[in-house]
Amino acid sequence: MSTVTINGRAESLPDDQDALLVDVIRDRNLTGTKLVCGSGVCGACTVLLDGEPVVSCLLPASAAAGKTVTTIEGLAGAELHPIQRAFMAHDALQCGFCTPGFVVEAAAFHDKWRAARSTAVPTREEIAAALSGHLCRCGAYEGIYRAVADACAGRFDGADPVAPRIEARDKVTGLARYTVDIHHDGQLEGVILRSAVAHARISGLDLAPARAIASVAAVVSLLADDQVVRFVGAPIAAVAAKDRHVALKAIAAITFDCEALPAVIGLDAARREDAPVVFEKKDRKRAHNLAEGGGGPASWNGNLRGPSAVFSQSGKRAKGWLAEAKAGGNPLLVEQTFRVPTQQHACLEPHAAVARFDGEQLTVHMSTQAVHDMMEKIAKRYNLPRDKVRVIADHVGGGFGSKGSLGMETIAAIELARAAKAPVRVAFDREEELSVTGYRPAAELQISLLPSPDGSLQALSLTAHADTGTGVNSLIAGLARLIYPAQAKDLIDFDVLSNLPPGAPFRGPGGPPMAFALEQAIDEAALRMNIDPIVLRQRWDHDPNRQRLYDWAAGLEVWRNRKPASSQNGRYRRGVGMATGYWLYLWGHGSSVELAIKGGRIVASCAVQDIGTGTRSVIANTVARAFDLEPQDIDVRIGQSNLPQGPGSGGSRVTASIVPPTLLAIEKLKTQVQRSAVRLPLPGSNAPWRDLIAASPDLVVSAKRQADGKPLPGVRPALREAGFMGLVFGWVFRILNHIEVGAGVPSSVQVIEVEVDTWLGKVRVLNAHTGLAIGRLAAPALARSQAAGALIQGIGYALYEAREVDPVTGHVLTAGMEDYRIPGIADMPRLDVHFDEAGFDHVPGGSVGIGEVATVPTSPAIANAICNATGIRLTEMPFRPDRLVAALKRRTAA
Amino acid sequence: MSIAPVMMPEAEFRAAGTDLSERRRSGVSKGPLIDITRSGESGISWDANGAASIGALTTIAVVAADARLAAGYPGLAASAQGLATPQVRHLATIGGNLAQRSRCWYFRNPHIDCLKKGGDACPARTGNHLYGVAFDLGGCVAPHPSTLAAALLAYDARVMTNQRDALTITALLGDGSDGRRDHALAPGEMIIRIVLPPPLPGERAAYKRAIGRAHAEWPLVELCARAVIADGTFQLVRLAAGGIAPVPLRLAACEAALQGRAVDAAVIADAARQAVSGATPLPMTAYKLDLLEGLVRDLLEQLAV
Repeated sequence: MSTVTINGRAESLPDDQDALLVDVIRDRNLTGTKLVCGSGVCGACTVLLDGEPVVSCLLPASAAAGKTVTTIEGLAGAELHPIQRAFMAHDALQCGFCTPGFVVEAAAFHDKWRAARSTAVPTREEIAAALSGHLCRCGAYEGIYRAVADACAGRFDGADPVAPRIEARDKVTGLARYTVDIHHDGQLEGVILRSAVAHARISGLDLAPARAIASVAAVVSLLADDQVVRFVGAPIAAVAAKDRHVALKAIAAITFDCEALPAVIGLDAARREDAPVVFEKKDRKRAHNLAEGGGGPASWNGNLRGPSAVFSQSGKRAKGWLAEAKAGGNPLLVEQTFRVPTQQHACLEPHAAVARFDGEQLTVHMSTQAVHDMMEKIAKRYNLPRDKVRVIADHVGGGFGSKGSLGMETIAAIELARAAKAPVRVAFDREEELSVTGYRPAAELQISLLPSPDGSLQALSLTAHADTGTGVNSLIAGLARLIYPAQAKDLIDFDVLSNLPPGAPFRGPGGPPMAFALEQAIDEAALRMNIDPIVLRQRWDHDPNRQRLYDWAAGLEVWRNRKPASSQNGRYRRGVGMATGYWLYLWGHGSSVELAIKGGRIVASCAVQDIGTGTRSVIANTVARAFDLEPQDIDVRIGQSNLPQGPGSGGSRVTASIVPPTLLAIEKLKTQVQRSAVRLPLPGSNAPWRDLIAASPDLVVSAKRQADGKPLPGVRPALREAGFMGLVFGWVFRILNHIEVGAGVPSSVQVIEVEVDTWLGKVRVLNAHTGLAIGRLAAPALARSQAAGALIQGIGYALYEAREVDPVTGHVLTAGMEDYRIPGIADMPRLDVHFDEAGFDHVPGGSVGIGEVATVPTSPAIANAICNATGIRLTEMPFRPDRLVAALKRRTAA
Repeated sequence: MSIAPVMMPEAEFRAAGTDLSERRRSGVSKGPLIDITRSGESGISWDANGAASIGALTTIAVVAADARLAAGYPGLAASAQGLATPQVRHLATIGGNLAQRSRCWYFRNPHIDCLKKGGDACPARTGNHLYGVAFDLGGCVAPHPSTLAAALLAYDARVMTNQRDALTITALLGDGSDGRRDHALAPGEMIIRIVLPPPLPGERAAYKRAIGRAHAEWPLVELCARAVIADGTFQLVRLAAGGIAPVPLRLAACEAALQGRAVDAAVIADAARQAVSGATPLPMTAYKLDLLEGLVRDLLEQLAV
């Protein structure tokens, strides 16, 4: 047996020829090294092999024989590595799942750089080339650039810095434990058997051959009661075994008969008249709900569900005016059909759950965006008392909307754990993660926009056909009601069902596709009216938050100096575009925060979770500020369902749900502390609260989210734009989802500069200016990180990302990270973030959420910039080289 | 080396495993493995004429970083610098790069049959071939994945195996018409070393790949260009392109259009149009011809400076 030295310890290597180094490392409880893509693309598994960074996910364990391996855990000695300090100080991380890989690589780069170049500062290009083998889905690239440059410059050779993100140290040292890292004694590994065909009736499912295999502890059926699978990847059964290898062998042994049914794949095929129908009338309730809230009723016609037109306003009138304008050849009428791609969340931590029964008590570690909600859903589904279900998510490696529901990974883990009477982990592999965990649906968007002769907005029509697979309740067109008031709007949404997995909520569901069509139509109208696009928006959009952002954008040098459209002919052409976004201000009823003093320290508790957004730090900052303490002085307990009820991390509602009750609890705690103080601090003490808290007996107070104050005149909820239907929706949100749509509209305006290489069809985003009105910043450094991450995800949506499927079989072809292309560090532009902190003074604390609004305008701003550079209005994303060169060719021909 | 592989036609050699490990995990590769990391040649040596010989187990990182190699064969060094990621380049070998299997998303999917997995048809041809070939040589429509194969084709390199001497890149990889194969090595045949001819006096070279993102993406189209320029004319031009055909292609018509011609932008632009002669794009791959033309112009203009 050969050996390898890992972090200074000799370890034996397995004899299995297929054993990979990443598994050897993780099996030794060194879980900072993450397995993500399994194909050498993302770099999360990077370790040092004899000092050189390598991908441990592809390295045969035998190749490490006789060599030394350094993992993230072995990187730091008694002191942190300067790169670790720099990552902490610059907030070069969000969810933290990719962080160990980045840190290991950056440390190796740093050490070589310093040896050769002392404290010279590497360029952005040098840093990007060194880190080109790493991907961060949250988009922490901006902080990473700064961290590497500053560490190389020698600025982090000394003491450990104060990190703006309070769990940063755990994330840069690899100690942060995610669901996939949980390991109980006797834990089994669960694997799901999935359909290899797009539509079939299953019969005669025989689990016995799997049960007969040694070391298989449980096998359960996951088939729906109608025994029909409706997409490739639909679950059939699950196995728990001593390891993944045995579990895979066991699912291969399961037999069944599979009667193939006619299948239809994708938006266009599903709309043909002779298309097979995915859901017969009796089965329609089986369609998956892909909306964050519920959806309204809608009619069905074959695979078409809709029209849903609740947010139309004088729809018939709009149609009439638009038809008239078209017939009359009105040159101001903008008409265009746009297409947006299917965008995958591509969380680096896959959907995963570890379920464990201790007698009647069920504990589920879960990579989830909603610990409290999941506890309720599990209790309901399995008919368990709520206090017998505990959901835990200490750290979550990305969610972006895809981890808000009770998924098959959790159901399988629970059912297998119950059957096996042992803890079971189910962690999706990359193919599952990139095919069956939901997505932002592709859509076809037909838009018509008509300015009136006096220059106001007369009529707007937007019809969206969303490629929702086996899901329903897409809302894209309807969102165009809540911005740019017009005399009439005809807004129609359709779900187009086909034999593909269902979509899921994704960062501002419906927002980016709606803005992609609407913001380009407005840009086009401005061109035709020969008016500055910002001036036109100032005229058509009356929202006070956005009016201030328009003033900011209009003053930007890059905007004032932009060239006229179509004025360039060279190989490289630069253009500047802008676009607007909005999102609803939401907060959750019932969110509660508990503050306690235990042993002279403040402990803040809430059943909320941190998916990389910075929730821990928001709470810590809020409490620390009130007591003149440092955030590190506050112990924040989150990520457990048995704490006071907290909101799900969705709908950008966490900050606005938890800061206000935290402020109430702070007041209560102050009163209690003063009341129970044996002696008050000496007059002139420069830390009166610190002294009082340190001397205080143990105390507990808690507070529930209070109502907002009275907003300033003219500050209204976004839904108010939709008149009576807006009121109905607000009521439904409140009653069914316990979510309030508050007054004031979180808003964003982006100005983006691109360079188009017309020979190689490549678009580079050079500079991005993002203006955000989201109230006061509860955690400024982290808000900036969110703004940067939202931007880079929007760049991915615009330029690179698209799920591709086989049109014949329905297999997802982009089920690996090399084919599903998310942005890398070199794709991150220079970024200027402008926060306008007014507009939400009626919210206790003054802060609302940022995550969604910040990504809404990116793709149309890029499209408008490309149009400014080339004169070409690209109608289909992503703007890949194939589309660019084809469009340039069409233009030359024309 | 054992003779076992000859007895096991399904067996695959494994060097660093950067290609193979993913196929093992997915189940696309199931046969026996023969580890060769300790049984091959590694490192770069030079003969008296200044010609390089590169052991098959030399890593891409070494090829990319070797100063003498970069001086003599700048197109090869630049190709090595441009492929994969730093953490892969530290492991992957030049022999493995030549012998790697297709990156086609149908081939890599364990649930779908294809020519390379013993099936009788290419599903990409009738399905989604966005990244497919633009020079259709029959059979499989996936482009050859080896960046270094294109560079070595441009340099007229020869490959020595344990069974044969001095194979050209074309002999190594075949003519691209057999969709079942990614190379023409016999069962049990292993690449030992790659031998380059001595650099020509005054020659220069460049490499570039057309991709969507800035880094770390399989090329849509890639090109290694060599030229000897003297007296203001192209004395020699070698253009080898990847990403466009089941094997790397020499752009012969384009080379001919430049041979002996004056080095100027108009000549280059005219010649670049010849790059696509003989192309047979698929419904989704016509764009690759525009990218190829753009790359030829780009690199020749770089070399002309």
